Amino acid sequence: MSQPLDPMAAAHVSEVAVSVELQTPGMTINIGPQHPSTHGVLRLVAELDGERIVNVEPVIGYMHRGYEKLSEVRTYPQINALVNRIDWVSGFSNEIPFMVAVERLMEIEVPERAQYIRLILTELVRISNHLVFLSSYPLELGASTPLMHALREREHVLELIEGVTGGRFHPNFNRIGGVKPAAGGGSTQKKLAQDLPKGFLAETRAAMDRVFGICDDLDTLVMGNEIFHARTKGVAIVPPDLALEYGVSGPNLRGSGVAFDLRKHENYLPYDKFDFDVAVGENGDCFDRYYVRHEEVRQAARIVNQAIDDIPTGPLQAKVPRVIKVPKGETYVRAENPKGEMGYYVVSDGGRIPYRLKIRSASFSNLSILPWALKGLLVPDIIALLGSLDFVLGDVDR
Amino acid sequence: MRSGISVTTSPPDDSTPAVEASATASATASATAELAARMAELAGADSWSADFGNAKVRVDRARWVEAVTAVRDGAGLAFFSFLSAIDWSNEVAVGEPLDETVEERYEILVRLSSGKTNDSVTLSTDLPKDDARLPTISGVFGGANWHEREAAEMFGIEFEGHPNLNKLYLTDEFEGHPLRKSYPLLSREVKPWPGMVDVEDMPSTENPEADAGGGQQDDSPPPTADRAEGDES
Repeated sequence: MSQPLDPMAAAHVSEVAVSVELQTPGMTINIGPQHPSTHGVLRLVAELDGERIVNVEPVIGYMHRGYEKLSEVRTYPQINALVNRIDWVSGFSNEIPFMVAVERLMEIEVPERAQYIRLILTELVRISNHLVFLSSYPLELGASTPLMHALREREHVLELIEGVTGGRFHPNFNRIGGVKPAAGGGSTQKKLAQDLPKGFLAETRAAMDRVFGICDDLDTLVMGNEIFHARTKGVAIVPPDLALEYGVSGPNLRGSGVAFDLRKHENYLPYDKFDFDVAVGENGDCFDRYYVRHEEVRQAARIVNQAIDDIPTGPLQAKVPRVIKVPKGETYVRAENPKGEMGYYVVSDGGRIPYRLKIRSASFSNLSILPWALKGLLVPDIIALLGSLDFVLGDVDR
Repeated sequence: MRSGISVTTSPPDDSTPAVEASATASATASATAELAARMAELAGADSWSADFGNAKVRVDRARWVEAVTAVRDGAGLAFFSFLSAIDWSNEVAVGEPLDETVEERYEILVRLSSGKTNDSVTLSTDLPKDDARLPTISGVFGGANWHEREAAEMFGIEFEGHPNLNKLYLTDEFEGHPLRKSYPLLSREVKPWPGMVDVEDMPSTENPEADAGGGQQDDSPPPTADRAEGDES
């Protein structure tokens, strides 16, 4: 389709050629920023040629909150509460790379039990995040039933998180050197370490069984659905080399066939002790991105089951000074968050406040592929692609 | 889990995994150093460092695009993680100043990683403050496009040859470069710290000892007394 882009030129051409064939002048439409399927406030300026997309320019920044500037006046423990809110669907996992970065600079060895609790909560958050995606994506494509089923099971997972941390979405549960004593942990006597709430392990196991159940349900409800296939298979293919070049990470990268999962490569949490598989797509289309997350839910539940089986005993906190001062230095720690690679570049000059905190959020880079990936697609495919990237505007705009 | 009465006690763990841990730590450290040295050679860099697991290679501004391309092609670091900048400044409008004097400059950082292994390296270059220009790498990594736009509006760095250096987050009318250290944080100008109560000081806080201990209390947030931490007594 090589139609003239300039509306004036196009109008001129249509006048002379009207008897030969119908010419459609190019058209620019605004989608958003208040559009239900953009998951927040994302605006797309789309140049169309009939139903085909010629070019798309995403306009972002409506959610920009300036976390990097705010970090210039926040102490390290305070920043933890701040970064929680970057990607609000998976609040807990935002804390992990920041904490690990600070602990690395301070050379703190986190007790093993605290690491296990972090890991269990991270995977629970991953399940919760992916269940939202797995059920809201079909909704965007016109199927409303999966949402009801998946959110019911997600509620059980959120209850587990709430039982330990006291918060459903923004736990602010990590402390430098370990984790906070659990919310439901009971006695506050100093000699008794407050730990996971009573019955947590049994309830987790029950919830994981339900998660496996909903995965099977979604298998038949969504993955085997012919209409779903028609809307997603072969749509908006992102080739692997392009995904790497644009910094597309996480399930989106694996959907393109790159078998790369930071949980297998970086040692920010003891993932090497667990047996789990990395799901990889083949074609890089919307269906593969869906499939990868679907499989990741099962794998996350597997990890949680293994972790609660052999969670070690021990303290929850390493010994840290009362006032956190981070020695001079800089480091970058990244983690495999539900949305992709989330990392913090922390520059410390030895004080209580970081000199510079660069937040590398997954959705920002994932979204930057849009202008490329949407070229030549049909208008309804915009929604199919946007949904399949699973971004959150808070994670894009920071 | 909602009853909140009983407690799983956790006896202190005094086994000896610490030795093992430090051994792996030093192995990781030498692997990082080895990686940094290899990347420095590829990029034709003058210096490198590998502190805190961060392999960092400093390249000259004139060799910027060449160095980034060389690391991508020579070492297969095809994953573009991020591009950003640091404003090294001796005077700050907000927050705490540096302890020691530094050379005033902008430092540009690029993080490149492998899509197969855990190889990951930071490339950095220095720009003088009065000449903050750098050739774009959006031709090498398409993903750098947005990151450079962000760095341009936040730090006022000009990326030469960039196809579209418009504002990304900020509105078109916005003036100034917010992440420069000279840019004040307006909410802190209006009220030094939101947690601070706007009343006259109580007599007890006026004693000189408290003042001496507080230091530069007006512009900095209060230290958080995190009760959960370091409480072993």
